[in-house]
Amino acid sequence: MVDSYRPKDLKEALSIRAEHGAMPLAGGTDLMVRYQSWTGTLPLFKNSIMFIGHLKEMKYIKKEAKDKTSTLVIGGTATLTSVANHPETPVVLKEAVLSIAAPALRNNATLTGNICNASPAGDSICALYALDAVIVIEKTGSRREVPITEFITGPGRTVLAESELVTAIKVPLKASSVNNFTKVGTRKANALSKLSFTGVADYKNGRVDSIALTFGAVGPTVVRSVELEKKLKGLSGSEIETKISAILEDYSTVIVPIDDQRSSAVYRKKVALNLLEKYLRELSRHE
Amino acid sequence: MKEIKFILNGKEVSVEADPLKRLLDVLREDKRMTGVKEGCGEGECGACSVLMNGVLVNSCMIPLGAVEEAEIVTPEGIRETEKGKLIIDAFGDAGAVQCGFCTPGMMMATEALLTINKTPEEEEIREALSGNLCRCTGYDLIVKGVQIASERGKDLW
Amino acid sequence: MGAKISIPVRRIDAKEKAGGWAKYIGDYEFDNLQHGRFLRSERARAKIIEIKKPVFPEGYYYVDASDIPSSGKNNIQMIKDDWRVFAVDEVRYIGETIAIILGPDKQKVLDLLNEIEIIYEDLIPAFTFDDALACKGGAVHGTDNIFAEYLLNVGNTDNAFKNADKIIEGKYETGFQEHLYMETQGLVGTWEDGKITMYASAQCPFYIRKSVAGTLGVPLGDIRVRQVTTGGAFGGKEHFPDVIATPLAVAVNKIKKPISMIYDRIEDISFTCKRHPSKITIKTGLDKDNNIIAMEIDTLVNGGAYESSTPIVLQRAILHGLGVYNIPNARILGRAVATNTFPSDAYRGFGAPQGLFAIEMHMSHIADELGLDTSDFKRKHFIKTNDITITNSKMHDDVKLEEMFAKIDEMSDYSSKVKKYANDPVKGIGIAFVNHGGGFTGNGEQVVIQGVVKMKRLDDGKAGLYVSVVEMGQGLQTTMRKIAAGELGLSIEDVVYDNPDTDIVPDSGPTCASRSIMVVGFLVQECAKKLKAKWEEGVGTEATHQYVHPEEFVWEQETLQGDAYPAYGWGINVVEVEYDPVTFEVKTEGVWAVWDVGVAIDETIMQGQSSGGIIQALGYASIEKCELKNGAFMQHTMADYTIPTSLDFPKVETVFIDNPYKYGPSGAKGAGELVFDAAPPAYAEAVQNAIGKRIYDIPVTPEMIMEALNK
Repeated sequence: MVDSYRPKDLKEALSIRAEHGAMPLAGGTDLMVRYQSWTGTLPLFKNSIMFIGHLKEMKYIKKEAKDKTSTLVIGGTATLTSVANHPETPVVLKEAVLSIAAPALRNNATLTGNICNASPAGDSICALYALDAVIVIEKTGSRREVPITEFITGPGRTVLAESELVTAIKVPLKASSVNNFTKVGTRKANALSKLSFTGVADYKNGRVDSIALTFGAVGPTVVRSVELEKKLKGLSGSEIETKISAILEDYSTVIVPIDDQRSSAVYRKKVALNLLEKYLRELSRHE
Repeated sequence: MKEIKFILNGKEVSVEADPLKRLLDVLREDKRMTGVKEGCGEGECGACSVLMNGVLVNSCMIPLGAVEEAEIVTPEGIRETEKGKLIIDAFGDAGAVQCGFCTPGMMMATEALLTINKTPEEEEIREALSGNLCRCTGYDLIVKGVQIASERGKDLW
Repeated sequence: MGAKISIPVRRIDAKEKAGGWAKYIGDYEFDNLQHGRFLRSERARAKIIEIKKPVFPEGYYYVDASDIPSSGKNNIQMIKDDWRVFAVDEVRYIGETIAIILGPDKQKVLDLLNEIEIIYEDLIPAFTFDDALACKGGAVHGTDNIFAEYLLNVGNTDNAFKNADKIIEGKYETGFQEHLYMETQGLVGTWEDGKITMYASAQCPFYIRKSVAGTLGVPLGDIRVRQVTTGGAFGGKEHFPDVIATPLAVAVNKIKKPISMIYDRIEDISFTCKRHPSKITIKTGLDKDNNIIAMEIDTLVNGGAYESSTPIVLQRAILHGLGVYNIPNARILGRAVATNTFPSDAYRGFGAPQGLFAIEMHMSHIADELGLDTSDFKRKHFIKTNDITITNSKMHDDVKLEEMFAKIDEMSDYSSKVKKYANDPVKGIGIAFVNHGGGFTGNGEQVVIQGVVKMKRLDDGKAGLYVSVVEMGQGLQTTMRKIAAGELGLSIEDVVYDNPDTDIVPDSGPTCASRSIMVVGFLVQECAKKLKAKWEEGVGTEATHQYVHPEEFVWEQETLQGDAYPAYGWGINVVEVEYDPVTFEVKTEGVWAVWDVGVAIDETIMQGQSSGGIIQALGYASIEKCELKNGAFMQHTMADYTIPTSLDFPKVETVFIDNPYKYGPSGAKGAGELVFDAAPPAYAEAVQNAIGKRIYDIPVTPEMIMEALNK
């Protein structure tokens, strides 16, 4: 049996983190399952728990504009349903969120929880990597912002210190004309990922101006190669078309999945590359 | 152990329990509300569906401490309301009930759906029920039950 | 659909279930309830060297084989009794019961369980068919690992093969399937009035009584079993509850307090019986005109570590081995093997889905090989009334497959789509024809079951109905009342039919084998006639009726010769799919079904059976992957063992044709299993036609499709 805390506001939550390092529980949809025990007994938590789902200060989604760039700021206790319903949510994120579980779970689960869970198969994470999301981390008296690629360090591992709390996720709202999120799940709905893919890109003057390609559940963390993306920048649609097989060859070296109870490494790799190819073909037609 | 207050089926209640106890266990054991079922304990099946502050949630994944001050509605809280009776009758007429273990959860999902969408299309009904698993019916007659409830309940939701 | 009884009524149990009033096993309150949990084997095959136990506090117990009374025995009396109540000295599969840990506080029970350490000496386990046949590590069962071996023969197969113009062969495999009833397994055992009473989520109360009495070594009447509202079963609660009830009874007998054994979902998926995996090889000889003149089938099913009902499952698999076809010369060898996997047991269809999948795919492959249309080729070989069967008797049924084909062709536009999709890169359509024998195989109803039903006139113009078959979702509470009420001229509300209690109802046999309506329902109808004749004798008047085997059906069990089943349900399914060449995922675009179940006792209930059976079968055929790794199931949560959601398959279009059976109530035949049988091969054939590669195994996963396309 472990202790639990219910802070009245964010300030108290941060002080409970500082003092006890209690694990934040917002929707509970991951933690309650991970530590599930026999019906009628308490979950087998190893550390004390702090309920934060009720904290209204973090239950928001807002658009912020600064220096011609705008950002969607998603509060630390905003639910997946609210993210999916927000009109400014980038389409790939919206689709990623809607691919998670079913309405009842999305009504309670938070986007922050999905990220802190840091599962390589986390569907929203795949989209957030492609969107260059930034994680806002606070502790009593200080605040830092970390790109999601640095926030997640391995399966189930993040840079979050015991005294810290993720209070928001910032999603830059960039122009993006060719968007795709695809989840290949164990069934048509309410499914876990065998793999997922996100592609976002934009053209300027007929040349690729920005591009991000990410793959979920094909490695210990979401796979994204900025190096390989650089090679695609500045290309025209027809140039991309001629280079598709070379690009696929490049990516086949960074996608290194495993076999497990949901799928096979061979399938994951093949389909990841197929999705990439499909996306590149679409991209090549869009300039 | 802590005393935790919340609103259950419209009445304020107080439960003395560990805040980490699952809401599902609190409802079934402390409150004897056995219309809430446990099918999986991991948020996959929806048999434990309840409404929390008006939206559908899985009570197996919610610790008691997280419902402090919240409003919880269980099948017991709607089965004798006009809407609840209408859904139950519609399910009965459609042939939506077989073993019945998933059905109270299906009733909750139907109530949640019709609250936000009075006249759902078949695809929207299937989407709304996608977290409530049924092994008996193949879903067709449950979908029909929701359609009947939607037709008959135009003025209720 | 013309019969009056087919007109739908609102199910009698709809309201109490939908509103959450109905009480399932976990919903009851018992005073002083103790909670039990099994100590299980973590090894597939090992000697138990030592079990290190902590000191148990007062009120907590460790119950094992040493607690079985001297009058009893450490065996579970099913058909055979090789399955042990508690493992002693050695374990044969992962999850085998070693002991029950029980007490008042669940957390304390878990803590004690965690403190127990078992020292094993590992032995070499056998998991696969090849392992079993090679007796790897020494035989698990007997001297050869064969639970049962049967040979069926009609005509002169060897001779016919000699005359064959061409020979075509195929090998077909099906996997495990988990029942995944929404309510997990559960029983509560109590000590009431000096007697053990079992409250059970179960299909067969008298099976539980028999097994518990056998284990404790007491007369049958000393055990009472009360079925409670059961949240789905599908065969999973036919014999398996015996595996919980027997050790539970030993514990109740020891401490004389009520004890609950209710499985968690993970426990249920990990440690309950599954459908038997199968491996079936078929060789077919054809003449110059592409008529099948000879067929040889080799059927293997994996029974796991203990026999349970495996031989009977194997019988059904081979008795349905030729499907709906008239094959003049055929030989079927069936063998059920023992391995160190969790024992396989009853699952809706009981072997028939495995046999039918193989024959339907094989017929499809022959047609493909010969460049013929599948449905034309299959129709040419349809069995007809009075044709000779694999058990050397005549097909007694009025076979209406041609009429049914015309119907489904019209509904689904099958014939034109099959041509249209022949060159379509992503679309495909498939068709399967099946039959399913109703009731126990051969003379089982006469020799083994001898079912009895009872009725009684009650106060207020009501009638009591006493049968041991149970409502488990299939609608029996409603359909049985309809049958009885129809004869007595009462409303269905005026027929009282409580969940069976072995102290009250006669033994009308188990709820399985598509027998409840066809066999027991007929007994109810006949019994109701008797009661009606003496209704005026007043309140308390009783009538009973026992099964009488129709003389025209003859069977010899030792040789499996004669009329394997008195009547068959018949069915055709068409499935249309489209596959995604990028992800290899398959989307089902349409599902159609035409059934001959004699007469539907209630059309809506039968619609529910059709949709429900087909969707469960489509899960089996596509997404329900259940694999073993070192003897343990890899999928053990509902997240990993995926059953269909409301979005996985479209609405099933169903039509029933009337074809009354004279020994069924109002003409009804068995239906509950038939509705499972046709969808797997129809789906597999649709995928096969979509991807342009043959399918031999189910489930047809995207991973498998990718591999097939790579070949």
